[in-house]
Amino acid sequence: MRNKARWMVSLICLFAGFMVAVQFQTTEAEPEIRDTRDEWEIREALQQEQQNQRELLEKIAGADKTLESYEVDSSQVQLNTLKQSIDVLEERIGLTEVSGGGVVLTISPIFFEGVSGGQTYPEVSPQLLSRLINDLNTYGATEIAVANERLTNLSPIRNVNGSTYVNNRPLPSLPFTIQVLTEQPAKLKDYMEASQARDFFNMENLELEVEMEESLTLPKYDAPLHLEILEGTGE
Amino acid sequence: MNDMWLPILFLLIGVSLGLLTDVQVPAQYADYLSIAVLAAFDTLFGGIRAHLERTFDEKVFITGFFFNVSLAAFLAFLGVQLGIDLYLAAVFAFGVRLFQNLAIIRRQIIDQKLLTKFRKK
Repeated sequence: MRNKARWMVSLICLFAGFMVAVQFQTTEAEPEIRDTRDEWEIREALQQEQQNQRELLEKIAGADKTLESYEVDSSQVQLNTLKQSIDVLEERIGLTEVSGGGVVLTISPIFFEGVSGGQTYPEVSPQLLSRLINDLNTYGATEIAVANERLTNLSPIRNVNGSTYVNNRPLPSLPFTIQVLTEQPAKLKDYMEASQARDFFNMENLELEVEMEESLTLPKYDAPLHLEILEGTGE
Repeated sequence: MNDMWLPILFLLIGVSLGLLTDVQVPAQYADYLSIAVLAAFDTLFGGIRAHLERTFDEKVFITGFFFNVSLAAFLAFLGVQLGIDLYLAAVFAFGVRLFQNLAIIRRQIIDQKLLTKFRKK
């Protein structure tokens, strides 16, 4: 190879090497994830984690107690323990009637007099209902029943052929009530009085009335639970 | 083979230069760059092969390098405009040629080694 040619090839090699390096960096480079939280946010996150830890520890302690009673006691007592845990679980997922203090929301239609052309009878859409239930849960509702349909964690709220179904049953026509159990009924009532959900209901010509009740009894969820998508943890 | 050290040295210099300068190409141009890299490698191996076959011509080499790189980039650009992954055509062509060149280089080197052995005997 003559000298000039050699330098040419070397120069091209330089180019090629540079391009390879740049390409490598481009493909390797990931957007850097930076921690931009300030001290206060970190403190809050830490507190949140501590809260989580405490809750987990409490759960573990409860489970340990149950386990212990299984191990120590006779079979009759074991059976009782089992029954008790089943009762507790059933109550927690809504398979039993519950009563307590809470609020009753009444949804009724608003009619305007003198509207020409007639007004269609308003309906509660699934989106609206979901929103309301989200709000209720946010403000501390423990148990909810929509028009005597107890809501569980698996309760669907959906639109079936134009009407709103809760727990796979159509909602009755308006007006109907939503019963909500909570630990602080007065607080929940205040929240709901001021909540945005009211405005959204008004936009759909629906009135949302909130009343406090000393004692409410919520019906139990009576349909079979479909747990196809759940699996055992395989211990 | 003793005149190969300079290109290799320059290759290493290029790589380290690229890594040290921390240059990054925007993601939408990464395709162009990858195909340009492929074209560059194709030209380099073509050059080595031509050198071994003693048909090396620096004009062909230099023009080949720039022409291949730009043609590949143009194909990629055209592919983006037309909505066809045309750059795959370039990848395919260059890939096949890379393998061919490498095979020929390998044979040439083996032949040369054998020849020198025979001569020693």
